[in-house]
Amino acid sequence: MSNGQEFEEIEQERKARRKVFYLTFAALVLIVGGFLIWKLSILILPIIVGALLAFVFRPVKERFRVRWLPHQIQVLCSFAAIGLVLFFAFNTLRKHIPDEEQKLEFKVRLKYKLNEKYRQLVAKPAEEKSNAVAPLIEKELGPLMDKFNQSLELNPEERDLFLKYAAGHNGKPPIQGKFVDYFRANQRMRKYVILEKAPTGAAEPTRTVAPAPAEPGAATEGPSFENKLSAWMLAPLIFIFLGFDNGQIRRFFIGLVPNRYFELSLTVVDRLDDAIGNYLRGTLIECFLVGVTLALGLILLGIPVGVAVAIAVVSGLLNAIPFVGTAIALVIGLGYALVAENIRPLIPGLNPNDLALYVVILVVITHVLDDVVFQPFVLGSAVNVHPLVVVIAIISGSLIMGLWGMLFAIPTVVVIKTAVATFFEELKDYRII
Amino acid sequence: MSVRNLTADKLLWETLGRWKRSSPELDRIQFLKTVPFFDRLSNRQLKSVSDIMFERKYDANESIFEEGQPGAALFLILDGKVAVEIFRETSTTRLAVLEKGAFFGEMALLDDTPRSATARALERTRTLALYRNDLRGLVHRDAKTACRIYRSLAGMIADRLRLTNELVQMKTPTDDVGSG
Repeated sequence: MSNGQEFEEIEQERKARRKVFYLTFAALVLIVGGFLIWKLSILILPIIVGALLAFVFRPVKERFRVRWLPHQIQVLCSFAAIGLVLFFAFNTLRKHIPDEEQKLEFKVRLKYKLNEKYRQLVAKPAEEKSNAVAPLIEKELGPLMDKFNQSLELNPEERDLFLKYAAGHNGKPPIQGKFVDYFRANQRMRKYVILEKAPTGAAEPTRTVAPAPAEPGAATEGPSFENKLSAWMLAPLIFIFLGFDNGQIRRFFIGLVPNRYFELSLTVVDRLDDAIGNYLRGTLIECFLVGVTLALGLILLGIPVGVAVAIAVVSGLLNAIPFVGTAIALVIGLGYALVAENIRPLIPGLNPNDLALYVVILVVITHVLDDVVFQPFVLGSAVNVHPLVVVIAIISGSLIMGLWGMLFAIPTVVVIKTAVATFFEELKDYRII
Repeated sequence: MSVRNLTADKLLWETLGRWKRSSPELDRIQFLKTVPFFDRLSNRQLKSVSDIMFERKYDANESIFEEGQPGAALFLILDGKVAVEIFRETSTTRLAVLEKGAFFGEMALLDDTPRSATARALERTRTLALYRNDLRGLVHRDAKTACRIYRSLAGMIADRLRLTNELVQMKTPTDDVGSG
């Protein structure tokens, strides 16, 4: 046997050994990885959130890069800038976060106003005596109102506290007499719900407001609050460590790729990075634009700036969830419109009593603007996902991980879609398949 | 200062120097200095280039890239030997055998047009790869460095074009030139 043949044989054996080794190693990694994911599932979400935040803020870090400054110091400066912005944003928002007294006041007001609107809705057609819809509405909405009333009911401590604030407590001026009247009306209302229909004279079967069943120990299963809190501590840590990364993580993973797929992996990773980055940053800008539109609209409708901004921030952020975001914006906006008082629209000719209708129109306009202008302008056609896929993804996401699942459903679909498309395209280009 | 202290200091600096010299990063920068492609870059600029490069190891006869595949990176030979070949239906033509310090696949730094030849390691070979989009990223981070690399690339392409023109002129009969 010649030296060449001997060398070939040794090489063949080595290749076979290498294959077995890689396969065993991959199987081991899969088993251990699967076990860890199963056991440490509580950490997955904070890790994803931290990583996504780092990903979104990477351009900020890149933009403020100074050549002569060491990387670590640059990253620290970027973090300081982000921290400063967050501090000012939080400080501004904090002024609009209601304190204990305002929360109680809001609860009382919300309960009173909701019941008032409900009574108007039910009583009006019945007075006209020509409407068969009223009993139907009452039948459908009645139990819902009972549930609302139960959830908005002040507990004994809250009641005591409200009465204290009504008389002036903690050095604060007494609560307006109007709200005290609402509180008293609410107290009576609890008893009235049974005989709610009595004044209209309709022979409606009475309903009793069943006392709220004690919530069964909700925390009997799943991780405790402390565990969740410590898991969420990971998110900022991941954000910081990924912020310090200067391409080492990418280099490490590319280093694991076999030589044959080296250039292919570089291209695939790069395209994925671009697609995900563009999508996430685009979505963030889109959410911001939706938030600004809503805030401006609500301010024009006469809603106080603080409340308008708070509604816009929540609705803007939730706009990342297609369809659901708009629905939530509508619910929050309508919720406020129903309890709002002393509204003076900045647009002349608007009737303050029709605020709820204007809010619906505003949300519809914002949604149309989002679909027609913001999305095509910001996201372009880079991420075209079929509406049916969007709906299925959101429902699946909510079933698997609740609200977070809904939030991450579309980015996950985008990642998978781009990864699969790019991977197959490149495999063909590199003549591997 | 006593002679003894001076000797101790000298020994310390020598040790530190040796330790510094033996770091892989410095080795890589020293190597990059010897490559004509990067000869216009300062040490700091070489470091930023070195930071974005990937080290790859190839076995003997292992293909680095193949003719017709989209190009994505430039390769520099750290050590070993690489054959650049083109395959035709019945034959293989070896265009060059490259050794330590040589580079190949530089056109991939411009676009992803298919590779015009196959590069294959003739023995165990270590290379440094510079990915096209990393170099593009360097344009935003360190424009001066990226600009110098692109200038080297442009110079190299101009030289090759000149050489090709000369070859064409040499092979074309004088009376044919300009007729037409």
